[in-house]
Amino acid sequence: MENTVVKIDNLVKRYGELVALDHFSLEIKEGEIFGLLGPNGSGKTTTINCLLSLLSFDKGNIEIFGRKMTPVSYDIKKDIGIIMQNVVVSEELTVRENIDYFCGLYITDKKLRAQYVDEAIKFVGLEDFTKFYPKKLSGGLLRRLNIACGIAHKPKLIILDEPTVAVDPQSRNKILEGIQELNRSGVTIIYTSHYMEEVEQICTRIAIMDKGRKVAEGTKDELKRMIKNTETISIEVLGLGEDILAEMRALPHVYDVKYDEKMLVVSCSGGKHNLIRALDVLQKHEIGFGRVYSELPTLNEVFLEITGKALRDKED
Amino acid sequence: MFLHNFLYEIKSSLRVRDLIFWLILFPMILGTFFKIAFGDLYEKQTKVSAIPTAIVETEQNEIFRSVVESVSKGDEPLLRAEYLSEEEALKKLGNDEIKGIIYTGDTITLTVAGDGVEQSVLKLFIEQYMTREKVITDTLASEPSKTQAVIAALSEEINTSEEAKLTEGNLDFYIQYFYNLIGMVAMYGSVTGLHVAIGQQANLSELGARKNCSATPKSVGILASLAGTWVVQSICMIICVSFTAFVLKVDYGDRLPFVYVAAVCGGILGVSFGFFIGSVGKMKQGAKVGICMSVSMALCFLSGLMVGNMKPIMAEKAPWFNNINPAALVTDSISALNLYSGYRVFITKVVTMLVISLIFYVLGLLMVRRRKYASL
Repeated sequence: MENTVVKIDNLVKRYGELVALDHFSLEIKEGEIFGLLGPNGSGKTTTINCLLSLLSFDKGNIEIFGRKMTPVSYDIKKDIGIIMQNVVVSEELTVRENIDYFCGLYITDKKLRAQYVDEAIKFVGLEDFTKFYPKKLSGGLLRRLNIACGIAHKPKLIILDEPTVAVDPQSRNKILEGIQELNRSGVTIIYTSHYMEEVEQICTRIAIMDKGRKVAEGTKDELKRMIKNTETISIEVLGLGEDILAEMRALPHVYDVKYDEKMLVVSCSGGKHNLIRALDVLQKHEIGFGRVYSELPTLNEVFLEITGKALRDKED
Repeated sequence: MFLHNFLYEIKSSLRVRDLIFWLILFPMILGTFFKIAFGDLYEKQTKVSAIPTAIVETEQNEIFRSVVESVSKGDEPLLRAEYLSEEEALKKLGNDEIKGIIYTGDTITLTVAGDGVEQSVLKLFIEQYMTREKVITDTLASEPSKTQAVIAALSEEINTSEEAKLTEGNLDFYIQYFYNLIGMVAMYGSVTGLHVAIGQQANLSELGARKNCSATPKSVGILASLAGTWVVQSICMIICVSFTAFVLKVDYGDRLPFVYVAAVCGGILGVSFGFFIGSVGKMKQGAKVGICMSVSMALCFLSGLMVGNMKPIMAEKAPWFNNINPAALVTDSISALNLYSGYRVFITKVVTMLVISLIFYVLGLLMVRRRKYASL
């Protein structure tokens, strides 16, 4: 049986009247890439800060590696790597010095540390920038430096709090690949994000948070099975009458049909040949159509259906 | 872990450009300015002949009378003083027969009829007397037998004679500005102490939060950072004293090593003050830096950095304040080396600095020791 790395039990955190975490529980197993998904203000970072014993909480219990986590649990902290939402490095130290500094907060052996620092630099691909100061680095490279500072001491648990915010696609892919590589080497990962594509791409298990509560948990397939929608068919088509729309609604597994004069959207729940059946209706009435899309549900739709609102803020 | 944090604190601090400017370059510039401004004035002072001056006694002041008497005799007297009524004095001033009128009463005041070297020297003389008056009255109270020697030293100092000094130190008035400069550098150290406090608290900085997540105990991190900051601040203090002593040729007397001791202790006091401010409350870093700088400059002002006679004013109006004003403690400790033959006053001032530092550090540590925060 897999070991439990993180166990959060019935956590309650209040900021005055605001309940930031509302009886939140979670269990993360060894070797998982666990995604904490939720919109801004849903309680992801608060969860992480409580987990790291930075924040006090009103109720609940937190265990990491089977031991109660407290601010002085230095034996636990030495096996945790943290990559914070914002880049936290010293502007006065070079890339290599920064990594060495943060690594030295965990590793006292100088020789071992030098080896770990070299490995971290190589891992994030900053070999050509070791003597650069942070202000000379691009946003993507800075993020990579931030990651190197968090992982250089070879922790068993790595917590990444939205590590790809404001990162270019190339660096983002590099970061995501790196996280998967770390996981393959046996590291347990906690990954918070409000980018559902990233979570969907790398996480083996996901918890969806909203207003400090866990609203769903499971693998991405399990989460998608929790909602009614299994397929959304979109067809570019003009001049559809009410009779044809009624025929569409009558098709098996179709539970919703929307039409806005040029785009027909058919929502299906289950079934295997929904697209073919929808196109058959149009052909039967000799109605020409343009582009056709068939999409499986996204985590955003999962979130939308569970909470009644979109996962991502508009500005994202 | 201590050594690792300590070394990186020194390394990163020495690369902060603002720190290099305000703690090393700015004092050099200001010191050079002082040297040009006051050094020149001092040179002129030594060359002028006895200045015709009227003294109007609204109240008798024996100490001042003794000082005037001392500076009015010898081969190169500073003053040619005559005691007149106010009416006569004003008439002579109007006829340019005298260069100024000194009124003695509760306070010593000066009236001059224009600008010039002689008027400046008179002003300097009065300022200098007011600065030293407390020393004389203190000596009267504590060591009456030395009063005449103190008066003679003060008089001789004005007359630029070396014979009657209590110590081999420099009693030139303008040197006070260099003492204040050292005090200012010490107080600027408050900003580095402030950064140590902020950089250790998860609710004040992201770096603090990051460090709090690490396997390094908070106490080790704080003490290592403070130790690193003390080293950096001490380097800055040593540079400041060395630059003024060896480049600007400011004469600190024959006790230069003790000037370094006073400066380093002042630096530790400055850092402790900033550490305390950084530990109090949850204000943003910018606001705390603002408070730190404002308070530091105010303390320097009250110790006489900007206005030379501020110190005697404070000594008269709030004597207790000079005994706890960090900037004044630094200047007084160095000043004591040149004024007194013994080390009692110097040691008292240095110990006071260290005690105040300890109080600031203990209070600061009590506030930053918290390991969990209600909000970040």
